[in-house]
This record gives sequence, structure tokens and C-alpha cells, in this order.
Amino acid sequence: MPADAVISVRGISKRFGGLLALAFIDFDVMPGDIFGIIGPNGAGKTTLFSCLVGAVEPTSGEIRFRGERIEGLPNHAVVKRGVVRTHQIVRPFREMTVMENVAVAAHFGAGRRRGADAARRVRDVLGRTGLAAEAHALAGTLTIGQLKRLEIARALATEPQVICLDEVMGGLNPAEIVGAMSLIRSIRDSGVTVLMIEHHVHAVVGLSNRILVLNFGQKIAEGPPQAVLKDPAVITAYLGDN
Amino acid sequence: MKAFKASLWAASAIFVLAAPRFLDRGTLNDLWNLAFAVILASAWNLLGGFAGQVSLGYSVFLGIGAYTTVLLSLRGVDPFLTLPLGAILAAAFSFVIGLPAFRLRGPYFTIATIGVAEAVRVCASSVSFTGGSSGLRMPAGSFDFNLNYFSMVVLAILVVALAAYIKRSAFGRALAAIKQDIDAAEALGVNSTRFKLAAHALSAAVVALAGSLYAINFQYIAPGSVFDFRLSLSIVLMPILGGVGTVIGPVLGAIIFSTLQIKLLSIPALRDSFLFIYGGLLILVMLYEPHGLVGVGRRLAALAASAFGTNRRIPDAG
Repeated sequence: MPADAVISVRGISKRFGGLLALAFIDFDVMPGDIFGIIGPNGAGKTTLFSCLVGAVEPTSGEIRFRGERIEGLPNHAVVKRGVVRTHQIVRPFREMTVMENVAVAAHFGAGRRRGADAARRVRDVLGRTGLAAEAHALAGTLTIGQLKRLEIARALATEPQVICLDEVMGGLNPAEIVGAMSLIRSIRDSGVTVLMIEHHVHAVVGLSNRILVLNFGQKIAEGPPQAVLKDPAVITAYLGDN
Repeated sequence: MKAFKASLWAASAIFVLAAPRFLDRGTLNDLWNLAFAVILASAWNLLGGFAGQVSLGYSVFLGIGAYTTVLLSLRGVDPFLTLPLGAILAAAFSFVIGLPAFRLRGPYFTIATIGVAEAVRVCASSVSFTGGSSGLRMPAGSFDFNLNYFSMVVLAILVVALAAYIKRSAFGRALAAIKQDIDAAEALGVNSTRFKLAAHALSAAVVALAGSLYAINFQYIAPGSVFDFRLSLSIVLMPILGGVGTVIGPVLGAIIFSTLQIKLLSIPALRDSFLFIYGGLLILVMLYEPHGLVGVGRRLAALAASAFGTNRRIPDAG
């Protein structure tokens, strides 16, 4: 495996009873990548993220973050090392304000900030994600577009080196998608490596420099976006045999 | 509004501290009971209200405090010097319960705490060094009610202040995150097990302190009093009645609870019906206003705000 990879995954599999959700996946993510992960529903994309951050323990295989094994660590410990994920189905703390939601991440993420230091970080992140005006609103009152941004804001406030974005564009209108794309680029430009699961093909092709394609838990292709989209196996997976 | 709240808190604190100068012993006894209830309710609320981990086993910690005080006093230690040890033992025992039980979620955790509490009660009734089911009496000696009263009241004030402080701290935010979505909290770096254990230990220590003062005041304890399951139930009932997860809720709940307790116990016909009445109150709260009296207050405030056309935000819980 390449020595300078931020994330190295080798032979990761996850079995849920009789279902092999992930089957022996290998890939490497380099610093500064926007690494896209695509595949039909049920392909194992979200399970892969859950394994990466330690929300579920893989059945077998190795995950390295900057050379250090992280598989089997609890989720909170992986976040403190600098790998964080957002949730496809948003999970805000509904009875907290937007600011408090983000503050939890600033306090307990890799940055471990307290007091005024944490407040500065929260303001900064809310500004970047366009949530400054909603800072004192209860999270339960936000629109879906705002909730998606809150997921990103909380993840950023943990001060990650690797951020795993799980369908942050799902349910957004075209204007919001343009905004989300420029936000993701700015995250990468700030030095954070991005992994993103995305169904919105234009967005993922436009942003990613590498794409991994999963189908039924198997890796069926990996490479630069244009090459991957021409891959016969990928076309078959999305459109069928005929 | 904030300044008004703060001055109300301060006035109440000054009133209960100065009460021995102008109130008779009977009323002071009632205030002692109130302070005791406030401590139990506010301490339970740290774990049950802030972190949403509903334990029905808090009589264990009260009992540990009470028994530590009586057992050591019988060996010649000054009763007030035994308070820290009781608190430490209760905190230590909270880990014995919490380490396995916090692996369980929701009602499963609650059931586990009932099991532990009952096991402890049965053990305390059957071993000899606790005096078995007939209990233990404090050594004869001078008992200073005023000292006990001040200790209880000061502890109650400190616990409420501690709760207010925790609510606004990073620790409090971690507990709130755990309560609202434990997996999302973990996904942001919150070590939920550690914070649950910390809140449990802190509240256990506080309850044990109250237990020690209880033993000093009543001079007699038995498994049927300090390890009573009904006691654990009452501890949960007060914050739920007042409003879980807020600072003022447990205090309001304790006021209602101890007032009812005093009134009901003075009517012989109702002496045994108090559980029935509390059960009914609990059902009403759960059905109609899960945020308890604080929730009722918020509704009234919202109603008043809309009636007067002011566009006020939902008032802070606190």
C-alpha cells in the first residue's frame, strides 16, 4: 500500500447474518483527494463509511489512517484521531440550537476546544456552511437543506483530516447543489481529504478525482471519473445487461 | 429575565438559610424534608434528566451513605467526618452498576438498575454487620438539629448550583447529546460511556451525602427505609413531575412532592394511598406534558406571548 495514503483499506468485509454487505474491499485515498463512492442502493456504501469511522466493526480486514490501524476502535476514538462522517439520514440534536449542535463537535472532536476558543470555531464553521443566521434556532425547526448543512458543519467542527460525506446532496434543489459543490471544494482546499457517497452523478463526477464503484458489496471499478463511467461493469450495474 | 431568575434563586437560598431565626421547629422539619427532596431530585436529574438514563436504583446510594455514617459512628468516628467516605463509596459502587448496565439502552438499563437495587436491599437485610432487617441505631450522643439543617440546606443549594453550572458546560452538552441521539453523539467524538459513568458517579456521591445526613437526623436506619424501592420511585417521580432535564424542574417537583407527603401523611386515611396518587400524577405527566411543570409554564408563557402579540422566543429551560 502507498506509504503516503491517508486512508488505506485492505480486505474489509462486513457480514450481517446471512448478508455479506461488504466483500473484501481494497482502496487507498491520498491526501487532498475528493474520493467519490457510488453504486446502486444497497451496494454497501454507507456500511463502508460506518466501518471507516468505527460505528460498526468490520468482520475482517484492515483500515489504516496515516499508517495507524483504526478498525475496531470505537467511533468517538476515531473522530478524535481525525476521521469523521456525516449521516445520510440527518441526525441533529433536535432540542439543541444549531450553535449547541456544532459546539458538541467542537468540544469533543479532534480539536477538543473549550470556552471562547470553541465559540470561535463554531462561529467560523457556521459562517462557512451558511448557517450563521440560524445559530440560535432549534435544530428541530430547520429545513432539510439546512439540516444537511448542519451535518457538514458538525463534522467540520470536529476538525477532521478526513471527512466522509454520506449523500449530503440528497433532497437538495439545483441551486443548493451548486452551493454544496463549492462548499466541498473549499473543504478540500482547506486541507481536509474528502470521501463522498453521492447519487448525484454530475456532482460526483465534477468533484472527484477518483471514484470507487460498489455493487452488492463488491468493488466493481475504481479510477478517474470518466474512465469509471465507461467501464462495462459499471454500466451493467446501473442499467442492466441489455 | 435572567437577573430576575437569579435574584429569585438567591432570595430562596437566603430565606431557607435564615429560616431557623424566625421559624418554629415543625416548619424547619418540613424545610429539612424539602431540602432532602431537592437534593435527591436534582442529583438524579444529572443522569436521568440531563443524560436521559433513567435509573430506578438510587436508593442504593442513599443507603450506602446512611450505612457508612452509622457503621463508622458506632466505631467512634464523628458522624460528619464520615460524609466524604460515604460519597466515595457510593461513587465507586456507581461504577459497579454502570459499567455493565450502561451497555444497555432505554428501558433495559432501567430494569437492570431495579435489579441491582433490590439485590442490595436483600443483601443488607440478610448480612449481620448491617444489623440485618432490624436496622441500626446511631450511637447515643448530642444531636444538633441546626447543624444538620444547615448541612442539608447548603448541600441542596450547592447541588442546584452545580446542576445549573453543568447544564451550561461542555460536560452538560455531552450529556444532552447522549440523551437526544447517542450514536450521533459518538459520531462527533463524545465518549458516551465515560460521560454516563461520570454523571452517575457524581449524582451517586451527592445522594450518599444526603443519605448520611438523613441517618444523622433520624438516628435510625434499616434496609426497609433507606433501601426501599418506593424511595427510588419517589426520587424519579420528583424530576419527572417538575420537568426532566431542567434545573428548576426537580426543585418544583420536590416542593410538590414534599408538600403532598406532609399533607397526606397527616391524614391517617390517606397514609397508604400516596403511591396511588403519585402513580396517577406520573400517568398524567407522561400523557399530557412530558416536560412536567416546566412544560406547562412554557405553554402558558407562549400563550401569554401570543395573546399580547409579543414575539418572544421559547424561554430557556433553567
